[in-house]
Amino acid sequence: MNISAPSLIASLTDIRNGFAFLGPELILSFFFLLLVGLDLFKSRVLKQALPFVALTGIILGLLTQVNFLHQLAAKQTTVFFTGLLISDGLAHFAGLLFSVAGVLTIVLSLLSNQLRLKFSGRGEYYAYLLVLLTGLNLMAKSVNLLMLFVALELVSIASYLLTTTLKKQQNALESGLKYILYGTLASGVMLYGMSFLYGFGGSLSFTDAAFWTNLSRLNGPFFLVIFLLTFAGFLFKIAAAPFHFWAPDVYAGAPAPIVALFATAPKIAGFVVIIRFLAQIKSYLVPALQDDVMVLIGGIALLTLVIGNFTALWQSGARRLLAYSSVSHAGFILAALAALATNSTEAVLFYLSVLLFMNFSVFLLVQIFEERLQIFYIKDLAGAGKNYPVLGILAIIILISLTGLPPTAGFTSKLLLFTNIWQNYSATGSPLLLTLLLAGILLTGVAFFYYIRIPYFLFFKRNFSSEKKVVLGRDNIALSLLTLPLLLFFFQPAWLTELIREVVLYSK
Amino acid sequence: MNYILSSLIFIPLLAVLIILCLPKQFYNGIKLVSLLATGLQLILAVWLFSAFNPATTQAYQFVEQLNWISLDLQSLGLLQIQYFIGVDGISLGMVLLTGLISVVGVIASWTISKNVKGYFALYLLLVGSVMGCFLALDFFLFYLFFEFMLLPMYFLIGMWGGPRREYAAIKFFIYTLVGSLLILIVMIGLYTSVIDPVATAIRAGHAPVSGPVTTATIAEVQRQVVAGTLASESLVHTFSIPDMQQAANFVPGSILHVLSQKKLWGYPVRYLAFLLLFIGFAIKLPVVPVHTWLPDAHVEAPTAISVLLASLLLKVGGYGLFRIVYPVFPEAAAYYAYFVGLVGVVSIIYGAMCALAMADLKKMIAYSSVSHMGFVLLGLASLTAEGTNGAIYQMFSHGLISAMLFIITGVIYDRSGSRIIDNFRGLAFSMPAFTALVVIAFFASLGLPGFSGFIAELLVLLGAFSSSTVSGMLPRWMAIVATIGLLLGAAYYLWALQRMFFGKHWVHPELNGKSAMTDLTGREYLMLVPLAILVLVFGLFPSLLLQKISPGINHFLQLVLQNGG
Repeated sequence: MNISAPSLIASLTDIRNGFAFLGPELILSFFFLLLVGLDLFKSRVLKQALPFVALTGIILGLLTQVNFLHQLAAKQTTVFFTGLLISDGLAHFAGLLFSVAGVLTIVLSLLSNQLRLKFSGRGEYYAYLLVLLTGLNLMAKSVNLLMLFVALELVSIASYLLTTTLKKQQNALESGLKYILYGTLASGVMLYGMSFLYGFGGSLSFTDAAFWTNLSRLNGPFFLVIFLLTFAGFLFKIAAAPFHFWAPDVYAGAPAPIVALFATAPKIAGFVVIIRFLAQIKSYLVPALQDDVMVLIGGIALLTLVIGNFTALWQSGARRLLAYSSVSHAGFILAALAALATNSTEAVLFYLSVLLFMNFSVFLLVQIFEERLQIFYIKDLAGAGKNYPVLGILAIIILISLTGLPPTAGFTSKLLLFTNIWQNYSATGSPLLLTLLLAGILLTGVAFFYYIRIPYFLFFKRNFSSEKKVVLGRDNIALSLLTLPLLLFFFQPAWLTELIREVVLYSK
Repeated sequence: MNYILSSLIFIPLLAVLIILCLPKQFYNGIKLVSLLATGLQLILAVWLFSAFNPATTQAYQFVEQLNWISLDLQSLGLLQIQYFIGVDGISLGMVLLTGLISVVGVIASWTISKNVKGYFALYLLLVGSVMGCFLALDFFLFYLFFEFMLLPMYFLIGMWGGPRREYAAIKFFIYTLVGSLLILIVMIGLYTSVIDPVATAIRAGHAPVSGPVTTATIAEVQRQVVAGTLASESLVHTFSIPDMQQAANFVPGSILHVLSQKKLWGYPVRYLAFLLLFIGFAIKLPVVPVHTWLPDAHVEAPTAISVLLASLLLKVGGYGLFRIVYPVFPEAAAYYAYFVGLVGVVSIIYGAMCALAMADLKKMIAYSSVSHMGFVLLGLASLTAEGTNGAIYQMFSHGLISAMLFIITGVIYDRSGSRIIDNFRGLAFSMPAFTALVVIAFFASLGLPGFSGFIAELLVLLGAFSSSTVSGMLPRWMAIVATIGLLLGAAYYLWALQRMFFGKHWVHPELNGKSAMTDLTGREYLMLVPLAILVLVFGLFPSLLLQKISPGINHFLQLVLQNGG
């Protein structure tokens, strides 16, 4: 490359101006360094304060995101850092969700005995969390293949480390190892695919029209292979079949707050990347290849839905069950994204926002069951609902929402997704979309069958040992507060959709 | 009294909140609150019934219509969900029935001793949802209440039921959920196809925001939609059932449009949508062969819940067919009339034969419900004035009679712990008053003249018989075969009556013994006698109900025949 002085100066100016859009990332990085620094001191008081330091960092990040979203109309979309990153509604909305997820992770961690009593490595835990959030923010902003890869690796490395937080536990190390093996494989495959994209597209920036017109010249099957290779990395993050094998093990081995985070934030980031890719594909790729992409995404969605829901039927552990339910959620969203002809971004963002609250509430529930009541398998829940009615009722609401039945936000989000698919089917008459629609709705019935087992054991079975175990008041309060949005967004979905519409309007 | 319908729905729901605030041990208070709430609901329902004006030209009365959820879906237009309730000839009888049976159910639940608070909270939640289902005129609202009935029922059977309650509860839930998912598919399809012309006129700027929208404007909007000159962003998609019933409100080119030529697996999509909805509601009704959840649920459920299940929840299935399926898909209804009639006849005969074979009294009554619900289908499929009026009358009458029947099995079960017919003989000697009421209930159910069941089944049979000449829907043999169902009904009721109540007094020695088989208590009289009187009153003076509901049903019939012919 031949860089002349003026263009170098222009680039430097661009980079300097770009920092204005990096507020959340800079704050998170600063607090990461602060945490690592503070962790060096042995003071007990200081150690106790570490989670709150991290919390401050995340909340400050959250405020900057809110600030950005507030001025969305004025700021428009800006590509900065010489075309590596983009600042738009989508990136900042995702950033908002990441921050909320970060705050909730810390709240759950503070409620967890296991994590509270674990004294060594406490600073690290919160520091990695901040790194993870930084990586996610960057991922949602990437419009360049290489930047995307770096951001994704940042997320992955932080994830591997967080998985093994509870080193003393047998399955923590096992799950960490599995996660690393699968993760590096997926990254490698993705990188391989990206190298093809770069080679044939002639650019690393996947928002260039030229990039896609170049790729349009490829023949169908070959393009699909490249596309699938590249998507391997994203599909891994959203836990879609056939890249979901890590999910059950990681969900079983990592601490509950971290699992809730994994089931939510990387999924959101992965979907943001997929949405960005599909938006470009819709505008620039030749229609013949677009159809191929639709078939591919639809096929993956169907596979994910079927595998997720049917495998969940056979699970006896609550965490593994939720792992497969998380897989099936990915399938639902992919199904809506496969409907290329309509813009499903709004529905998907709504779904993801609701999923955030569903996941954190259900994993708080799991954490309470495990730590307070020593219940790890679904059948051990027998009778617990009668002894702890508040917990039982909240559990029902959460599971109803996960299934997608009224009166919960889970229903509204599924309704919006299915509406998009139906609309697209009605416009194109594509049998694939109809299959997806019918499969999605009927598999909701299957999903209900495995979710209902939890209230079934909670309320219908007896012989729960009379040993007195205490569920703390703060557990109930936290869980109620997390469940509240699930009802709220059913009765007032407009509060969320108004924001999302604004966001989508100012997204590229 | 603009909020009478809302009060009908929310009084029980408010009572749920009150009960949740009461202390656990305050049994009598909880029961009293439930009784007061349902009593108040009954009074309002009776007032509504008498205030209902059958002569008016309005399609719905006491309408409450509020915008609830509006979602702007950009290029898809606006999604509008309304809190839209009202009452017409089809729902009036059901509302009255719900008010009646809810009170009876509370009295039947008086002896519940296990977790009283939870029981009555769920019970009232169920009652409120059923009422909501009958009053909702917005499909989304209807679906919400429809789903809302499932969970309370699931827990009421699963926690307070008999030995196999868990199995029965899960089975009930899975069946109904599958049905409601089928309904959901069509619901999504319908609202993406249907617009609200009034709201669209306002949104597109053809009418002032607050002012009244004239019929001319509505016609103009509908014309523009058809011509495709109205941007899709300004369309207001609605769940409103009355809007769905007008072909002009369907967006042209949408799959469910009346003129849509789209086919799937060789069938027009509208026909398939009709079938999905039909199966969804048929599971609830229930209809052979998707009826198998019903006997299990009935046998395991506690008495009061059986009463509610048979009297109200089954009616929601039939009501859904009347309210949504037939008026929205009239041409498919005409096309599938033979099939619907056939399913009805099969249910009548198969249900009756199963009832004949049952050793358990409660199972026998459960199957007799399947048989009687077959008449609802037959009457509806005939699409004649007699048939449709008969079908609604049958739903009302069966609601009263089946409540009696299930209370009767409850009475026997409470005393002996058994419901097996062969365990008892000559009960007439120890329980004469009870036997008199049983005779009334059995005769009413088998369709003896003078009781409400007779009027209903007679009307249905008349309709089915004349259908081939009047509307051309059903062949004559269906009416003739259905008559055999009446004969079978007489057989199993009379046989059960003879075995259990007549002959030498004998109770199986392993049961609680003769001494326990005492006659009715005051509480039981309180439930059975008013029901018996009502069954007689509505049998002798059918116009009491028919003059209120007929105009509405005939309007429904006109609509279906006109658009489906």
